[in-house]
Amino acid sequence: MTDALDVTLMINGERRALRVAPFETLLTSLRDRLGLTAAKRGCNQGVCGACSVLIDGRPARACLSVTANCVDQEITTVEGLSAPLELSPLQDAMVRAGAIQCGFCTPGMLIALTALLHESPHPTRDDIRTAISSNICRCTGYQKIVEAVADMLDASAA
Amino acid sequence: MLHRPESLGEAVGLLTGDADIKPLAGGASLVAMLNARLVEPSALVSLARVKELQGSNELPDRTLRLGAMMRHRELAERTTLTGPQRVLQRAARAIANPTIRAMGTIGGSIALADPGADYPPALVALSAAIELVGSAGTRLVRAVDFFVDWYTTVLAPDELVTAIHLQPVGAGAGVYHKLARVAGDFAIASVAVVLLDGGRARAVIGACGPRPLSLAEADAELARGNVAAAGAMLAEAADPVDDSRASANYRRRVIPRMLARAFVEASEQMHSS
Repeated sequence: MTDALDVTLMINGERRALRVAPFETLLTSLRDRLGLTAAKRGCNQGVCGACSVLIDGRPARACLSVTANCVDQEITTVEGLSAPLELSPLQDAMVRAGAIQCGFCTPGMLIALTALLHESPHPTRDDIRTAISSNICRCTGYQKIVEAVADMLDASAA
Repeated sequence: MLHRPESLGEAVGLLTGDADIKPLAGGASLVAMLNARLVEPSALVSLARVKELQGSNELPDRTLRLGAMMRHRELAERTTLTGPQRVLQRAARAIANPTIRAMGTIGGSIALADPGADYPPALVALSAAIELVGSAGTRLVRAVDFFVDWYTTVLAPDELVTAIHLQPVGAGAGVYHKLARVAGDFAIASVAVVLLDGGRARAVIGACGPRPLSLAEADAELARGNVAAAGAMLAEAADPVDDSRASANYRRRVIPRMLARAFVEASEQMHSS
């Protein structure tokens, strides 16, 4: 690889050293070099949201982020939302509500909603809809996703 | 190669002498274009760490200076934009979706100069000035002169947009309306309306030609409340194209209607503030 760059990234709380192409996107690095395949390659244009990850706690498109530009940032993928083989409360709520159809958008939805709940622990349904407006579900299963979050918040308030 | 300079001087130095090296701001457009192989730069200069491009400040004459790396999200949420300057906040809120608004920057957006983008009409309506820095020094260009043609600005290859200057405009109203196929898409047509104390008005149409469209004659009609006349003049002067979003004919026809709605809202804003 000509002009390859050696970079160290902080991903899911771990330092990961890797060699990347100069303009390689974070999505390619995650999926093809690190085997972290939760972030999906949908449109590769920043439109669909399937590749969303948290960068410094905020949702970002991995397909629009140049890996070599992410070296001083904290990256969290869905693999980092819970311990292996466990579910975060949000993931559990999504399973209970049946908020998954084909599943391709689910990692991006989890990232968008995790960021929302971190920023605003008691969001309204409108807040939830706004948060997932960055993400496309081609099965149009948005309603169950909104219900999953609302149910989880109702249960924790009860 | 990806360069990550920390100073503006270093960034401009890297851009000088190589027309194929591109500055990278938030990445929302440039990285999408790289992925689609629409551009093949020799190298990228990341502006992420250039301190001079971050944040905002007020100049001695009370001009608000917004750093080029200001994210759309920050402008969308900024509560200190009042009066006519609300038009810029409304434009920021109309861009894409929350995640993209947290990535994209005002400098990156206007440097690309997509005719369907949201900031250009708002900046022209506010008589904003664009601060540019290159190897030849700093210059301030009026927004109306900055946008030249489809995806073309006055920027030289070794120049960077470094800030947006918003002069104090006093009380008044600012409204931005966008017609799009789905929320957050690029505009089929857009309109920025600014009403100033003293009865002056300004209307700027977006996405209906190579650059934001405004006419002194239309503004004069608008100031007299002749919205239909202003809309007819702007529709006549527009130079829209047929594309996948809408036909040129459709765009011409919506201009007067969009202007009328935006003017009504701006008038209400004027009276309620």
